[in-house]
Amino acid sequence: MKRIKQFVYNSDINRFRFYFQIFAFGLLMYGGYLAIDISSNLPTFACPFVGKGRGGTCYLYPLQHQVNMPLAQFISGRGLSLLTGLVTFILLFILFNKAWCGFACPLGTIQDWITKLRSKLGTRYSTYSEGAFKGLKNIKYILLALLILLTMGMSNAVPGIGKLSEDFMTPYCMICPGRTVLPIFNGDIKQLVVDFSSKTKLTLTALGMAVTGAFVVGAFAKKRFFCLFCPMSALQYIFSKIGLLRLIKDGPKCTKCGNCYRVCDVGIKEIADDVVNRNIVQDDCMMCFKCVAACPEEKCLDVRFLGMPVYRSTEKGFFKRMEGKGKNGN
Amino acid sequence: MEIERLERIKKTTAIHLAMEAKETLKKITEDFPDNPDAMGYFYSLFHKFCTDRGMLNSSKKLIGTMCLQVPYELIYAAGAVPVRLCSGAYAYDQIGAEFMPTKSCSLVKATLGMLNVNQSQYIDLLDVVVIPTTCDQKKKTSDMLKDKGFRIYNLEMPSVKDTEEGRLYWQRSVKKFALTLQKVTGQKITKRRLVESIKKISRARSEFRRLYNLRKQSPVSIWGKDVFLVTNAYFFDDIERWTDALTKLNNELEGRISEGISVANRHAPRILFVGSPVIFPNLKLPILIEQSGGIIVTDEVCSSSRLLYDFVTFDEANLYDMIPAVADRYLKPCTCPCFVKNEDRKRKLKEMVKEFGVDGVIYQAFSGCHLYEMEHKAVGAMLETDGIPMLYIETDYSPEDTGQLSTRIEAFMESLKARRRNRG
Repeated sequence: MKRIKQFVYNSDINRFRFYFQIFAFGLLMYGGYLAIDISSNLPTFACPFVGKGRGGTCYLYPLQHQVNMPLAQFISGRGLSLLTGLVTFILLFILFNKAWCGFACPLGTIQDWITKLRSKLGTRYSTYSEGAFKGLKNIKYILLALLILLTMGMSNAVPGIGKLSEDFMTPYCMICPGRTVLPIFNGDIKQLVVDFSSKTKLTLTALGMAVTGAFVVGAFAKKRFFCLFCPMSALQYIFSKIGLLRLIKDGPKCTKCGNCYRVCDVGIKEIADDVVNRNIVQDDCMMCFKCVAACPEEKCLDVRFLGMPVYRSTEKGFFKRMEGKGKNGN
Repeated sequence: MEIERLERIKKTTAIHLAMEAKETLKKITEDFPDNPDAMGYFYSLFHKFCTDRGMLNSSKKLIGTMCLQVPYELIYAAGAVPVRLCSGAYAYDQIGAEFMPTKSCSLVKATLGMLNVNQSQYIDLLDVVVIPTTCDQKKKTSDMLKDKGFRIYNLEMPSVKDTEEGRLYWQRSVKKFALTLQKVTGQKITKRRLVESIKKISRARSEFRRLYNLRKQSPVSIWGKDVFLVTNAYFFDDIERWTDALTKLNNELEGRISEGISVANRHAPRILFVGSPVIFPNLKLPILIEQSGGIIVTDEVCSSSRLLYDFVTFDEANLYDMIPAVADRYLKPCTCPCFVKNEDRKRKLKEMVKEFGVDGVIYQAFSGCHLYEMEHKAVGAMLETDGIPMLYIETDYSPEDTGQLSTRIEAFMESLKARRRNRG
């Protein structure tokens, strides 16, 4: 047992993640053809617009439908379906916590592939200044609030405006790059259009196309560019503290060398600077555990599932991974 | 007249240095039992220390460095070899005293003295001398050396390391240094060369970590005075040869541990050595400590653990990521007291006390080294709350205070032993 543990700790999680992402991508994009449907309340982007091939559905899609009801009905049978959906989502989410983002999300995977391509081409990445980063990371909470409030506005009259048009249906999906980009992998480019049928649809789909462009260009310039704005990430973070999978930091062991912060795709500074809190997962964290692989301190960063260690920083592992660097473009 | 005087000084200094080095080595090798066989390599290295070109021996371009913030990865990648010039010789200290105020740090005086007295050779040998802008005394030596004809490069450092501004400033400064190095050596720092040099240094550091970890164990397999020699050799030895020699030493120590061989008495107080650096031949304090029945199990000085402990890591094997990654390694984990805020040093010491089962701390401050002198109160207070006694010693390179120091250290060791007995 001890040997197996040592083997796992000393292994390279980045390589494992690379292959796992391909597997998860296949499952969520093409699993449907094998009659796989994991859940329709998945805490990750598995886009309903992908069609038959998808192996599950992103929770934001049913959520936007379910909150589209008059306030009075929230405590009726329809409210119950909202509740069961939410509970399923939470249960699925806390199982793997934010690792859904780092290991399963197809949009995340595509961004990682674009990053790999950029690195191979030797093109420099860009970074945010600290201030800009702090500002930008709040956008996802605004998006989350909007996607709930707008849909609620379709069934509930807003004083002064009245009910919103039905064209606001699933407003977030309309601007989500998942809707436009993911179906392409199933040979469907029908989503890459601007809908002129109404003003609202025109605005939303045009915005969607703009976001898609920004998604691709952004991912090329900045690692995991879109994740900073992802409302799914915002929704997840509300429940992150009760996640069964955890990233624990042993503050006193930290030398603040900043290696973890260096390799962090989403630029979380706390991972290096916070030597007080043990549960170190931040709202932008995608639990890719690159930080654990980059930490040269024995047992300083620790990944645990239900309190049991799964992966951990070790000196030996760090050095082994170092020796493998610079080969095959890693 | 002047040239004659210099030549005369040079000759007598060389004699004094040789005597000093020999005496230190004699104590190190003869006063202690159970020296590991693999230490032989390091002993003979220091026997050669003061002959002909001494430590400056390489067919490649030589880059002189001071302090520990100069990124060696870049120097190797540019096809040159670094040599750390910080000197521990009393003979040079006396020469340097001529150029510095009376109350200045022995280390700076000795380094200045060494470069002054050997200027005729060293100016030719050292393609450039890199001085990071750490403490005021190091900063000010830059111009003095420039006036003598040395090619000096000031590596600009921020005085705050925790802010993003400081970090970016340092990254820019290191990038500029990389460009300068390429000009000096005429060799481009390429992706492949930098990956190789990062790995080469990583291997050396990971071998050091092995030694570092071996010393956590009880029984103690090696004297602290030997470890200081090992890390001092890193200043000027060929890095691959050094790594190999250390591997052999570590293997031997592992064997010792499995056989249960201990160099010191089982009840010897375990000492953490902190403060101003220990640089050969000035091993005055470590030798006194270990002659008085203590054993140095670890240290937090810039000539030893702080120099070698941390690693570089990078995300993308491209220069735009690797050069800032190298820069980060020399700033973020650095616990040099030249930074405005230095909580990390205290945190590090606290953790070391725990991990190494330390009984007492000895704090060396060179008189005139304001930074270490000023930080000692805070460190002492922190240790006191943890119940760890600290002995603060203000000293310099001169052997005059040896008698007085040995009395103080012996008394400290006795008190540590008594504490141990009382605890059970």
